Amino acid sequence: MGEVIVITSGKGGVGKTTTTANIGTALAMMGKRTLLLDTDIGLRNLDVVMGLENRIVYHLVDVTEHRCKPRQAMIRDKKLELLSLIPAAQTRDKTAVSESQMKELTDTLREDFDYILIDCPAGIEQGFKNAVAGADRALVVTTPEISAVRDADRVVGLLEAAGLPEPKVIVNRVRFDMVRRGDMMTIEDILEILAIDLIGVVADDEDIVISTNRGEPIAKNQLSAAGKSFREIAARLDGADIPFGVSGMRGFWHRLRAVFAR
Amino acid sequence: MTAEVWHKDESLRKDTLLIEGPLRGGAKIEYDGNVVVMGDVNAGAEIRASGHVIIFGSLRGMVHGGKDGDRGARVAALSLFPTQLRIADHITCPPEGYAPADHRGAEVASLHDNKVVIETLAI
Repeated sequence: MGEVIVITSGKGGVGKTTTTANIGTALAMMGKRTLLLDTDIGLRNLDVVMGLENRIVYHLVDVTEHRCKPRQAMIRDKKLELLSLIPAAQTRDKTAVSESQMKELTDTLREDFDYILIDCPAGIEQGFKNAVAGADRALVVTTPEISAVRDADRVVGLLEAAGLPEPKVIVNRVRFDMVRRGDMMTIEDILEILAIDLIGVVADDEDIVISTNRGEPIAKNQLSAAGKSFREIAARLDGADIPFGVSGMRGFWHRLRAVFAR
Repeated sequence: MTAEVWHKDESLRKDTLLIEGPLRGGAKIEYDGNVVVMGDVNAGAEIRASGHVIIFGSLRGMVHGGKDGDRGARVAALSLFPTQLRIADHITCPPEGYAPADHRGAEVASLHDNKVVIETLAI
């Protein structure tokens, strides 16, 4: 019986989709049968980030409206056997799916997977409610900005109200140089406000933008510090006890690569 | 069992609501009486009470004490850094550039001579 995990944030543009793609990729690399479910109906992106846009035949609303079987809407990842995606519909809106339909769908799907990751749309309206409906656990993505943390705080409250207490937080796009200069919120500042557990920190990294545009999640890149951060989040999600240390900062591999790039 | 307690301060005879924190953004508490929060009150959360408000945690949101006009209402927190603070018909907010790290310890806000005054909370 698989676990359904929703990845949410409240605010848009903090990296929910990229995070979903990368954690899913990392889980599949760990040998877990993983399904990505894009619930951002009308503004689908996860297929693009995964580089699978051109393979879409059926989408989420086709499944909930019984025009196809869930299996038919699943798109296998280009390389990872164990990773699949059900894309969102692009020509419909959030009201095309109901909370009970989502719950029914996730309950059917969890038979065949170890992890089902739900990419939640921004906002706290119907799309959020749908994304959360069938979930067992939640991850909240934020960036070290006041506005993102405010929205994350609001979302943590809504998750608690929806019966998903104690979500874990991912702090994305951290610039450690700015934190050191005192120009950016520290991880501690964020955790003090949100009062929930941290599951990972991801550094702001140009390579993420490049890999996202290429449709190749950075979690596959063994040389990238950000890729390592995502792989560690996946491992922690799966129960591994990995200490929070230098990961996410510019570590050994980064320096090594810098040497070769000279 | 009800204990007979003598209150020097008449306002303390009001009913008191005890709530578990943290109160997160979007939470709204409105109460006829005093409110005590065990935990933080985050930015975007609102408490409106006709009496006093005491927060055993950090206050980052909006609190209105004495919402029905009780000018003797007080607002206390272990860290007092509200978005906005109202007592009776007075509205105030921390001065520009005032950061949470600037102050230490519990503080209480009350009205004196038509001004909201913040004092260190002597326990």
